[in-house]
Amino acid sequence: MTHASERTPANRTPPLPDEAAVIARAADGDRTAFTQLMEHYQSACYGLAWRLLNDADQAADATQDAFVHAYRAIGSYRGGIFRSWLLRITANASYDILRRQQRRPAGPLPDPEEGAPELADHHAVNPVAEATKSELYRHLEVALRQLPEDQRTAVVLCDVYGMDYNEVAEMTRSALGTVKSRIHRGRLRLRLLMAEHRELFIS
Amino acid sequence: MLISNHPEEERLSALASRDDDATTDAALASHVADCVRCTELVTELGALRASLADMPELAPTRPLRLLPPVADAPAAVGGGVGWVRRMFAPVMAAGAALAMVGLIGTASPVLQGFGAASGAAPDADAGAAEHPASSLAERLSSSGGEAGAEDGPAAPAAEPSEDGSLRGEVAGRSPGEDGAAGYETLGDPPASRDDFVQLPAERSPWPMVLFTGLALIVGALLLRWVLVPRVG
Repeated sequence: MTHASERTPANRTPPLPDEAAVIARAADGDRTAFTQLMEHYQSACYGLAWRLLNDADQAADATQDAFVHAYRAIGSYRGGIFRSWLLRITANASYDILRRQQRRPAGPLPDPEEGAPELADHHAVNPVAEATKSELYRHLEVALRQLPEDQRTAVVLCDVYGMDYNEVAEMTRSALGTVKSRIHRGRLRLRLLMAEHRELFIS
Repeated sequence: MLISNHPEEERLSALASRDDDATTDAALASHVADCVRCTELVTELGALRASLADMPELAPTRPLRLLPPVADAPAAVGGGVGWVRRMFAPVMAAGAALAMVGLIGTASPVLQGFGAASGAAPDADAGAAEHPASSLAERLSSSGGEAGAEDGPAAPAAEPSEDGSLRGEVAGRSPGEDGAAGYETLGDPPASRDDFVQLPAERSPWPMVLFTGLALIVGALLLRWVLVPRVG
């Protein structure tokens, strides 16, 4: 099982060059340093929130909540990968919104083809390859939105954001076996939903 | 080679994500190695995982406020004024409750009467102490009608009395019967308590309660205004 700390995909936000120093300044109360960190990671946080919540406004709210929480908790940050720390906070904020949502009557299901935000462009070297990947990502986003919520949450946290089973179990307050089962079932369902676009998969 | 009795697809998914329990399962590994269908499924799930892991981040659709407001900051409030913040709500609540009770008491004639009576009772005892000649027996005989009117069963216990026979009649009545009616047969109207007790001027406590409540509210507001720094 891979962990977030072991994976650094090319199209994910890389750490700031002097990240440790910026974090130290932010922990000392330097608001400019904190803003710099949030500006740098806002796409990462927003993307996670959007994929968990399926709603642009709620994703923005969850990201905002995560920033407030991070601002209060940065003094207790004890090293490790800052992006993972921030993503865990974002996932918790998103999951809080999901839980509140579950207590209310459900509204109409969103159209999976609609409302996906723009992909954050970190590199565009080969236009043809990029076009193919963009097509793949678009289909994956649509397919993810068609998964049941529990499976989507587990797959997004584990497969897209690289959290391990224990982290997902803790975050979703579920048993480890339940989480594994959700991930595997979600992944198998995703494979069926992507049946027509298998040729786009990254091998 | 095609094989029947394929393992569960969830086990193949676990193998695709290199879970320990799946990779150490020799039977599963052996099956997958020999089964084209399962090998294809594991490969495809692995590619799907890689594609998911490669998904890019998403740009926010609206500008996000990157810094929480100052009020959200863990404000370094001095320890000397921390208690003002902690005590503000309880003191305000107590002040409001007292003021409300005082206001109702002041405005209501029934409560005013109660307040005056409860305030006068100790004074009456004090007045009695000032007149040592008025013994308990005298007080009881003088105020017997009042006592009977208030408490029927207590009257027969107020012996000795000159009207023993009549009192015997009263004593013969069951405690549940109207004691006041029994005393009406005594003929003499009961003497007033004022005959032997000089009551002081009646004072109602409710205005004081109202004033205390208002003072608490104003005091708490002033303390908070003066001591607690305002942020934002």
